[in-house]
Amino acid sequence: MTFRWSRWSPQLALVPAGLVTLVAFIGAILWTIYLSLTRSRRLPEYAIDWSEWGRQYERLFKDDAWMISLQNLIVLGLGSALAIVFGFVLAAMIDREKRGESLFRTVFLYPLAISLIVTGAAWRWIFNPELGAEHFIHSIGLTWVNASWLARPETAMYGVILASVWQSAGFYMALMLAGLKSINSEIWSAARLDGVGMFKLYTEIIIPMMKFTFVTCAILLSLGVIKAYDVIVAMTNGGPGQSTYVPAYFTIQALSAKGNLGFASAAAVMMLVLTAVIFLPLVLLTAWQQRRSGARA
Amino acid sequence: MNDLSNAQKAVGADIAVRSAPYFPRRKKAITGRSIAIIAFLSVCALFFCVPLYVVVVTSFKTMDQIREGAMFALPNVWTLEAWDHAWNSACSGTRCEGLKVGFWNSVFILVPSLILSIGLSIVTGYALALWNVKWAGPFLFVLFICAFVPFQIIMFPLISMTATLKVYGSIWGVAIIHAVLAMPVLTLIFRNYYKDIPQEIMSAAVMDSGSFWKIFVEIILPMSGNILIVVLILQITSIWNDYLIGVTFGGMGAQPMTVNLANLITISTGTVRYNDNMAAALLTAIPPLVIYFLVGKLFVQGITAGAIKG
Repeated sequence: MTFRWSRWSPQLALVPAGLVTLVAFIGAILWTIYLSLTRSRRLPEYAIDWSEWGRQYERLFKDDAWMISLQNLIVLGLGSALAIVFGFVLAAMIDREKRGESLFRTVFLYPLAISLIVTGAAWRWIFNPELGAEHFIHSIGLTWVNASWLARPETAMYGVILASVWQSAGFYMALMLAGLKSINSEIWSAARLDGVGMFKLYTEIIIPMMKFTFVTCAILLSLGVIKAYDVIVAMTNGGPGQSTYVPAYFTIQALSAKGNLGFASAAAVMMLVLTAVIFLPLVLLTAWQQRRSGARA
Repeated sequence: MNDLSNAQKAVGADIAVRSAPYFPRRKKAITGRSIAIIAFLSVCALFFCVPLYVVVVTSFKTMDQIREGAMFALPNVWTLEAWDHAWNSACSGTRCEGLKVGFWNSVFILVPSLILSIGLSIVTGYALALWNVKWAGPFLFVLFICAFVPFQIIMFPLISMTATLKVYGSIWGVAIIHAVLAMPVLTLIFRNYYKDIPQEIMSAAVMDSGSFWKIFVEIILPMSGNILIVVLILQITSIWNDYLIGVTFGGMGAQPMTVNLANLITISTGTVRYNDNMAAALLTAIPPLVIYFLVGKLFVQGITAGAIKG
């Protein structure tokens, strides 16, 4: 009896996870794709008019707010990329100068432990137009500085970027630090013997050696940017106007505020497509890395 | 059994070696470059600390002092009034019972979410890593993809399903969704940890006692201390800090603390009490911060494992 149970138990143990995957992920994705082809408004409708199955998508790309969302996605992606650069600079410096490593690491990483809602609340307060940092900067005589970024549509996105960089730079620093530590220590002494300059050492030797770490960071960052929602809610709620809409925010607005199910589903499908575009290189990269480590072993 | 515990020790030793520092530190004389680097890092550290500093001092100020506009000044009078307001009487939507409602909701969400998510994925990871199961490879690949799916694409179906199961808007609804969404990543983390267990241990264990569950409880669980703590910390912080799942599935009755905080800072009728807002933000941030400052290294391990393996 025991023998038979030991043969079946592993399969049975996988049933819950298999069901979750099948129903909550695969089933749900297909359900949403289906809904995006229907005319569903507040309640789901399951009739598809095949002569105009793409009407929700047509409407989506004619929607100004969606186009703003896509633009902001690119702006946010490029802006947040500063977090990778910043993280690398911090990691390189901490790695060169070992003093105070644990203190600096602790300080640079603590924002990661905090909810993005809290992060947003703090930065929203700093950017407060009447009582915030602007008031302080003006009071020390720099009256030409405009620091109430969130109040103006042209600059609101930069405020969001600053908060995201503040929140995530430490994370990229930790990844970069791990990458730097895995570099063979002989490289440093060899470079010193050859008299290679610091700048040249980093740009021509270290960074090319760490290209895998950089690509990983870039992919994680892109996926994070597509998911960006909490920080928008806490800082701007999409405003002023619709100037800080991003796809994640747009989709949830379309569903919960406008109650337009088919339309929201189409936006969600586009989010999935965007994720897939970024995700595909990751799969290839992992396969490549596995093959490489397999060859080494 | 002796062989077994030796092998177990060997696994432990292996882990200890891997986490040992690669470069022994050498005392160096302070050079000009060191001073420049430390100065630069300190300025950056200052940038990271400014928001926390502003939030802390604001939360201890009176509204009168805040209206003067000196954001970076220390409080003239240190007062806990704002903390009291935030905890007991701050308004979230139409209810003015403070953040304590959300705090207890968050705690009640946290416990079942942890049990469900870790219980589900540890067993799945164990079965996938150490037993010959059909379709293990494809299943792992699908899980890998699921870990990256944006929440929005499964949001409405999950709302419908939880509504059908009559758990929508309750603590259990939120907890189940947390378990479902965390399952792919956590399973991959557990599976990657268990797959390094030597095959000999498993063969010996199968010969010795045999059954799937007995091996899990008597051999695998005692070996999982490290990874369990890392995953526990990862899950506690991510569930506590979650906003999207809470606001979508919490309905009116099971809103976690982050949702209360977001309502407080965004929906502001009448005069905004910034000191209350900041005290509320700090109250929400304190539990994960305490964990971070106590066991920072494990926290970082969890975050990077979750991001890369997932």
